[in-house]
Amino acid sequence: MAAAITPQPVEYAAETPVTGKVRLEAAWGSTEGDEDFTTTASSAPKPDGQVFKPQYKQWNGQLNPRWMRNWAILRHHLLGIFKKGHRPWGMPIRLYLLVVFIASLTDVGLTLVSALIGDSGLHSIWGVSRDNLYGHVLGFFPRNMLYYPVIAALLVGGVISEDRQHGTSALYFSRPITRFDYVGMKFLSVALIQGLIILVSLSLYYFAEIAAMGRGWAWIIDTLPMFLATVFSAVLLIFTYTSIGLSLSSVSKGKFFPGIALLSIILGTKILAFIVSNLFDREILYLISPYDCLAHVGQAIIGTQPTYDQYSWTWSLASLVAMNALALYVLTTRVSSMEVTRE
Amino acid sequence: MQDDLIIKTTNLTKSYGPHVALNKLNLSVPKGATGLLGPNGAGKSTFLKTILGLIQTTEGEGTVLGLNIRTQGDEIRSRIGYMPEYDCLNPDMEAIHQVRYSGELLGMNPTIALARAHETLQYVGLGEQRYRNIGSYSTGMKQATKLACALIHDPELIIADEPSNGLDISARNYMIETLTHTVKTGNRSVLMASHLMDDVERVCENFILLHKGKLAAQGRIEDLKAFDREIEIHVWGGASRLEEAMIARGMGVRREGRVMRILHEQEDTTSMILQCAADVGAQIRRMHEYEASLEDLFLSIMENLGYEVKTSEDLLSSPAQARKVDAPGYMGGGSA
Repeated sequence: MAAAITPQPVEYAAETPVTGKVRLEAAWGSTEGDEDFTTTASSAPKPDGQVFKPQYKQWNGQLNPRWMRNWAILRHHLLGIFKKGHRPWGMPIRLYLLVVFIASLTDVGLTLVSALIGDSGLHSIWGVSRDNLYGHVLGFFPRNMLYYPVIAALLVGGVISEDRQHGTSALYFSRPITRFDYVGMKFLSVALIQGLIILVSLSLYYFAEIAAMGRGWAWIIDTLPMFLATVFSAVLLIFTYTSIGLSLSSVSKGKFFPGIALLSIILGTKILAFIVSNLFDREILYLISPYDCLAHVGQAIIGTQPTYDQYSWTWSLASLVAMNALALYVLTTRVSSMEVTRE
Repeated sequence: MQDDLIIKTTNLTKSYGPHVALNKLNLSVPKGATGLLGPNGAGKSTFLKTILGLIQTTEGEGTVLGLNIRTQGDEIRSRIGYMPEYDCLNPDMEAIHQVRYSGELLGMNPTIALARAHETLQYVGLGEQRYRNIGSYSTGMKQATKLACALIHDPELIIADEPSNGLDISARNYMIETLTHTVKTGNRSVLMASHLMDDVERVCENFILLHKGKLAAQGRIEDLKAFDREIEIHVWGGASRLEEAMIARGMGVRREGRVMRILHEQEDTTSMILQCAADVGAQIRRMHEYEASLEDLFLSIMENLGYEVKTSEDLLSSPAQARKVDAPGYMGGGSA
């Protein structure tokens, strides 16, 4: 559809105000030698806000097998600690992890200092020994009071409960993710983050001693069994804290309850057993305290002086097994009841 | 014909103790878009869980995309995209990463999943908003993100559970257009569960109506609508006389005040109506072919089954209350 337009003359006098129109017409000479003016009308006005038509693009790629899906869950949780785009761990949690990691390296630093200044007294207090290895993982204050249980509480808080709260469980279970893979990868993620702090700092401590004190093979062969026993104790500690924590997370829809409940269980039972032990001289209540059972088993396998002497360490081991079994039972039951269509 | 079926069930039964959620369901869902209808408690969610391969059936067989729902649940879930009715997004994540992660959960390589997340978010209309946190999204944007999560691996079948739930008119239109586009130009199949009949009618060619775990009706929406064609007339003066005259001539008449709908059964129904009007001296101010909407048919079917059902308008104005579909008293509901 075209319609002729009569060109309008434009005058360029000194008093002509400088407007956009005049400037534009002057620049393009829009009225000179262009008499055959035509206008065109757009055929159909576009609806507001729609600047393009959506185009469905097909994808012909191959989906990877089960291990890749599991790796995606693990990667999502682990990388979330370090960078954006993965599971959004809160800034306070990330900061606390960093603080605890640095604080866990105290004995590493003091081992290096004692080697640097050649002070054997300082080294005897902080260097690698049976008691210090035990203390690095299972010492109560500050590590099992302020560091590791708090980390576990912060980590497990939202790992499963937030899937219930936000309904993100549907995103997992409407895909070829089994409940076992889901809970397994979540467990592994939380355990690995704790392991990054506890086991890495423990290894650094051991290797700092070797490097700074110039320890030879004989010393390494001598101390390796107790180092490995400490690693095993640390794994037991991480496993126990994670299983109890995740079972609490699986029965909740928020992150506060699982976190605070885990701390209450670990610290509350410890305090209760301590009070009973002091008032009545009965240590049996330590069997309901996850920390005390871990410490007792740890003392036995690392070979330090036992502080729980009214009963055998195998009772503590049995208690630990029972606690973990109960926690895993609750965890699996609750996860298997998670819905896809409605939560 | 068999190859064109995306879902087929034979005597599919699912019981929870004494409660039978699905009762000997025999369904054949062809390619294209199909609406899954039914009041609350009809068994829609159980049916969706069953075809996702998430729950074991008590009895009967079923296939989705040719895969057995009893033994090939993982494969089925790899080849379909499920868009849940309820929130399934992490509000602290950016949409692009949420969609990418949903692709990774299917086994997509992270780099490919990211590229595909950009494409699908662009497709659902969130191209410019994809780096915003989902927590800051409107309901419509969240629904679009859920659709993007379902589409990321280009599934053969998309199961959309109440896709337009809680959306305003423009967001609802966009969602419906996107789904329609996915079916028509993307050549994908959609199984859409919805309480909003208008939406089902706009997207789907076929429908399934469930009632108390049983199949109440199934077929092409067009066929169903063509089943009871009526002529609607607006009468001025002598409406009662006209109604009587038409009934006397054996015509099927439904009347509401001055508006009457007459069953269009014969070629000469129109002239018979005019003849009756002339005989009784009634004025017909308006006459047109009345095509029942899917909602009318749904209401009619459900009323025949003894249910009191709300309309789309009610559903849109007060979703929480109106989505309650009351069973009559003798069926265990609150209303008569």
